[in-house]
Amino acid sequence: MAYALEVRGVSLRFGGVRALTDVSFGVNEGELFSIIGPNGAGKTSIVNCVSGRYTPTEGQLFYQGRDITGLKPNHRAALGIGRTFQNLALFHHMTVLDNIMVGRHHLLKNNFITGPLYWLTGARREELEHRRKVEEIIDFLDLQSVRKATAGTLSYGLRKRVELARAMALEPKLILLDEPMAGMNFEEKEDMARYIVDLNEEYGMTVMMIEHDMGVVMDISHRVTVLDFGRKIAEGLPADVLDDPHVKKAYLGEEDEVLDALDDSLPVAEASA
Amino acid sequence: MMDYAGRVAQADTYPKMLRLNAKEHGNEIALREKDLGLWRTLTWNDYQTRVHDFTLGMVELGIKRGDVIGIIGDNRPDWVAAEIAAHAIGGLSLGMYRESLPDEVLYLLTYGETKIVFAEDEEQVDKLLELGERAPHLKHIVYSDPRGMRKYDDPRLILADDLAARGRELAAREPGLYDRMVDATDGNDVAILCTTSGTTSNPKLAMLKPGLMLRHCATYLTFDPKGPEDEYVSVLPLPWIMEQVYALGKGLLSRMKVNFVEEPETMMNDFREIAPTFVLFAPRIWESIAADVRARVMDSSALKQRLYDIGMKSGLAALAQGKHSAVADTLLFRALRDRLGFTRLRSAATGGAALGPDTFKFFRAMGVPLRTLYGQTETLGAFTLHKPDEVDPDTTGIAMGESIKIEIRDPDANGVGEIVVSHPNMFSGYYKNEAATNADLRGGWMFSGDAGYFNASQQLVVIDRIKDLAQTARGDRFSPQYIENKLKFSPYVAEAVALGDGRDYLAAMICIRFSIVSKWAEKNRISFTTYTDLSSRPETYELLRKEVEAVNATLPPAQRISKFLLLYKELDADDGELTRTRKVRRTVINEKYGDIIEAIYSDRPDIDIDTTIRFQDGTTQRIRCTLPVVDLRAQNQTAEAAE
Repeated sequence: MAYALEVRGVSLRFGGVRALTDVSFGVNEGELFSIIGPNGAGKTSIVNCVSGRYTPTEGQLFYQGRDITGLKPNHRAALGIGRTFQNLALFHHMTVLDNIMVGRHHLLKNNFITGPLYWLTGARREELEHRRKVEEIIDFLDLQSVRKATAGTLSYGLRKRVELARAMALEPKLILLDEPMAGMNFEEKEDMARYIVDLNEEYGMTVMMIEHDMGVVMDISHRVTVLDFGRKIAEGLPADVLDDPHVKKAYLGEEDEVLDALDDSLPVAEASA
Repeated sequence: MMDYAGRVAQADTYPKMLRLNAKEHGNEIALREKDLGLWRTLTWNDYQTRVHDFTLGMVELGIKRGDVIGIIGDNRPDWVAAEIAAHAIGGLSLGMYRESLPDEVLYLLTYGETKIVFAEDEEQVDKLLELGERAPHLKHIVYSDPRGMRKYDDPRLILADDLAARGRELAAREPGLYDRMVDATDGNDVAILCTTSGTTSNPKLAMLKPGLMLRHCATYLTFDPKGPEDEYVSVLPLPWIMEQVYALGKGLLSRMKVNFVEEPETMMNDFREIAPTFVLFAPRIWESIAADVRARVMDSSALKQRLYDIGMKSGLAALAQGKHSAVADTLLFRALRDRLGFTRLRSAATGGAALGPDTFKFFRAMGVPLRTLYGQTETLGAFTLHKPDEVDPDTTGIAMGESIKIEIRDPDANGVGEIVVSHPNMFSGYYKNEAATNADLRGGWMFSGDAGYFNASQQLVVIDRIKDLAQTARGDRFSPQYIENKLKFSPYVAEAVALGDGRDYLAAMICIRFSIVSKWAEKNRISFTTYTDLSSRPETYELLRKEVEAVNATLPPAQRISKFLLLYKELDADDGELTRTRKVRRTVINEKYGDIIEAIYSDRPDIDIDTTIRFQDGTTQRIRCTLPVVDLRAQNQTAEAAE
């Protein structure tokens, strides 16, 4: 089966720094796919390559069989790729509702000339239609009580949720979540995990998620890829990845004796990567 | 005023009354619900259609006369429609509190051998599915919100809209069936099982007859009239008797519009949008609104604080003389009423427990026509209420109608005894519990278990539950709840437990109000981590000490708090420490915190705590800390000497 998203041999260099080295993987249609790895492993670089903020130095990206390597971010969004950011990128002085509405910008047909001719151009009908969609998302993410609140006044956990709402408003087929649970408390994480699973199951969105919190990743992901120093070191079902000795070393840390054993095997693994 | 009794004579059950309203006022608004950010209206025709479809849908599922039909979830149109549909089928409706734990739900389901439950959403459905084999009678679970339900394939599950569709199919095959079923309903058949908010672990189920319910509502409405122009926001729990009275009984009888909020969290906002003409809040809610206003004033600019002080002062001064201050209204109260959604209030009530006189004055000064009512589930809710022009915060008013008889049994020297009541529309006993019925209902009189007396102006004063009145070892009688309410009037206090029964002196265990105390701590640059940490800070103790001293100043010497400590966790209904209506369960507290209570009275300056607390999600946390005990006896003696 063709992948919804395929990353083929992608490398990314910033001058002498190799952020990504020959990374390849594929995300199936309808999958909840996670990328994990220690700090600086290149996780966000991957998301930025897929969303179009970075252009890979080498390699190609395919979205539903189409080569998107050279496409601009807005074109990729129009194709159905949405994302959230690790460090929030909301409009702080706008309301939650308006922030989410922004997510629908590329779906609006009216512009600043036809918009003011409210009834003639269907701008009214269009606005109502979009507002209804946004309200469905607000309902889905339980944001009713902060609908009219200014985004900047909300707690961090809530702002993360608003960001997700905005990405959802794009009606993407593939959604990229960059550390959706970073900086959240236990309860907020549980809620967010619930939303991500529902997003995947109820809305049928393909999800590519980057996350630090191993517990959450292992609980909800269908498949996991592990990056370390810009290279892929493992991929598979959550349970298999957890058992992988390279992952244990790179990500989780391990007891000394295991580490010693790993030291011998690691160069081999790197050579084959 | 409408002829309430006349309407009850025409239609003595809920389905009949609904049909009458739909026939005469079919296109008028009956209900509103906020959904996806908009208020959506249901006319009396829409309302009846939903009930019609539910009723026949249940017939298709095999639900029969005499079956118990459970309902659990947030207040929504489908909740009330399910109840009326239950009655149309000749069944008994059983409302369950939405926060009930699976085991509490199981108890009620087993007790009523409930075959069908209307469970609003995934959260409630999860509870029912979790019961599995333990609820063998449960054959059907109807849900209204399909969100998150895709993962289940339990054959008992049915979407409310699908149930309604099956009902319409039956109606097409058998036209007139619904009308015949409604005709067959009898107002003298028990149709409502209403849980009593007892302080014991398992609730009793009071059997109520809709005909009597409507007649009692007619008495109530004659005393406090409502009509189709009135707006009501349904936020009290629907299984509770008073919400049954308002959202169903009075809603059907007076045709006041009943509004359902979007989510419990959006309540205050939605409330403001509707600006209802009538409201009943538990004392706790009035207190938290007042506390919230004060907290926001604390956060505002110096100018606004000044204006608030001036407005409040002149408002209270005017109230004391029975007047209303125009200055205060312009400066403060008009804006405050608007902010709180009280602009159109013509009638407001509190009940269920005592409300601090200061809070009472706060709202009266604001122009909220607050009155106190009193009653029990067994008496079909409230039967006393203040007259509009004779409001006394210390009393609960007078009987609503001449048919209501109130007596004080076994009064002591001060006229204090047990309140007993008799009126023609009382409950018909407890479901499957004759012993309890015979204990509480003797010779047509309901023994309330409440201690009270009539004051000089013949208004009923309710002190406390008789069994909850406490007596110190020195023989001074006191009401712990009364003292707790005084403490809780402080914005910094969330919950309090007054101790002292059989002891030499009174003491208190206090739970800080985290939202406010944490804000105060931030402002004063006091660092803290958790609730436990914050409540054991010396600065917090100093803050609360002042609050307790202020309360002591208003109490007679024998009832002053001699010692207090700040508890390491909040009291919680899920831990059985409070009832669902948030009254303190003393037996549970005495058992659970027995060690702490002993330590308070053992003259130790502090208590070492090592315990485990259990969170709602099942995780546990070990808590180890040292709780200081503050001794105020020296101050109290000085104060007494000064007096």
